[in-house]
Parts: sequence; C-alpha cells; structure tokens
Amino acid sequence: MLESRRTGDRLCVHLSGEIDHCVAASLRGEIESLLRDPTVKSLWLDFSDVTFMDSSGVGMIIGRYKTMKARGGSVHACGLHPPVDRLFHLAGLHRIIAIAGGDTEHE
Amino acid sequence: MNNRMELRFDALAENEAFSRMVISAFLVQVNPTMSVVSEVRTAVSEAVTNAIVHGYAGTTGTVVLRAQIEGNQAVIEVEDYGCGIADVQKAMQPFYTSHPEQERTGIGFSLMQSFMDGVSVTSSPGSGTLVRMTKRLEA
Repeated sequence: MLESRRTGDRLCVHLSGEIDHCVAASLRGEIESLLRDPTVKSLWLDFSDVTFMDSSGVGMIIGRYKTMKARGGSVHACGLHPPVDRLFHLAGLHRIIAIAGGDTEHE
Repeated sequence: MNNRMELRFDALAENEAFSRMVISAFLVQVNPTMSVVSEVRTAVSEAVTNAIVHGYAGTTGTVVLRAQIEGNQAVIEVEDYGCGIADVQKAMQPFYTSHPEQERTGIGFSLMQSFMDGVSVTSSPGSGTLVRMTKRLEA
C-alpha cells in the first residue's frame, strides 16, 4: 500500500503495513512506474507506518536505489521503527541510503 | 511450559504473512519480549519465503511450519518438499543469491543467524529442505 506526493524534484512515498516478498513485488512495480518521470531526482521513503520488513523489502529498496543512482539521484529513508532500523543496518542499507529522523513532513 | 504445533499450508506468497501471524500467536502464550517476537517473525518470514521462492520456485507445493516450546527455548522448523539445495554452504553465504534478477538480496540465512540462537539446514536435491532454528525465550 502506497501514497505518494511530489514536491519539486522530490518524490515522497509513504509506505505502510508489512513489507515481505508478497508485497515487495507490487511495491516495486508501483514505485518504478512513479519513477518513469525522469525529473524525479530524489526519492524519499517514509517507513513510519511500516510494521514489519524482511530481506525482500531490502531487495526492493536496493532496486530503487539502483534506479535513482543510474540518473544521478538519491534515496532517503525516514520514520524507521527500531526493528526496521536494525534491518537497515544488518543489510548495510545505511551505507547507500540517507536515513533521517521523523517523517518527510518535517524535513 | 511445553507445547507443540504444526501448520501445513500451500506455497503461496499470501501465506507468508499468515505464517508470521501463526508463529507470533503461538509464542505469545509464553509471554516473550517484543524483540524476541520480532526476531522470530523475521526469521520465519525468511525461511518461508525461501521455501516458496527457491524450494518450489513458483510451482505448487506444501510448506510445513513446526514450533515447539521446551522450557525457555523455542525450536522452530520450516520444511518444504521442493527442489532442495545442492550446496547448502554456498546458499548460506551472505549476499549469495540464485535469483539476483528478482531483487533477492542473499541475506535471508544471515538474518536467520543474526536473529536466532541456532540455525541448521538439511537439504537434499529433489526432495526438499528443512530449516531448524532455536531461540531462547528469556534473557
């Protein structure tokens, strides 16, 4: 499930619920279709309503990082709850994705 | 408290969330910490996803989730009767994946090992894979 908001060259995507293999496949398609607009230069992923994530979610994020990197853009994450934050660190995502506190509304 | 359960379900992606709900509900009886529940849920999700994505690779089949509480330890098994793993050691290497094009990360076994106290994998090509994990329920 996904809501998105565009501000200038920034696309904010609000994710919610549980991101597993079943859900990651559809998120991949939905976010990629939003990223077809080449003027999007920074992708913000808001995890504040994400209650669970596993390695399938990690794969989905790395995939979008590759899309953004290919156009010289960036990926940012915010609203990480402790279990999701731990997964980000175990998977090494903090090395490629800028992690901000709070949610995108306050950035 | 000692208790056991076994759940058999079809190898459908929709059942990943179902298997996580069942393991959480089973463990709640022994009043575990939030962090233990979260870790076990993630490990089970990884093992069940492997069974569906790799064990059956889109074909039909049955996944079995077993859990046993023995005193202050939980023993959890996820078994499939799919294609099996020829080289378990290689499959368990961090970042190794046989399906990079599907955005698989290859960190599933690493996460199971990080989140659980013990992980063992028994597999034979053509007959399936059994992942057995143990978790202490008290600090």
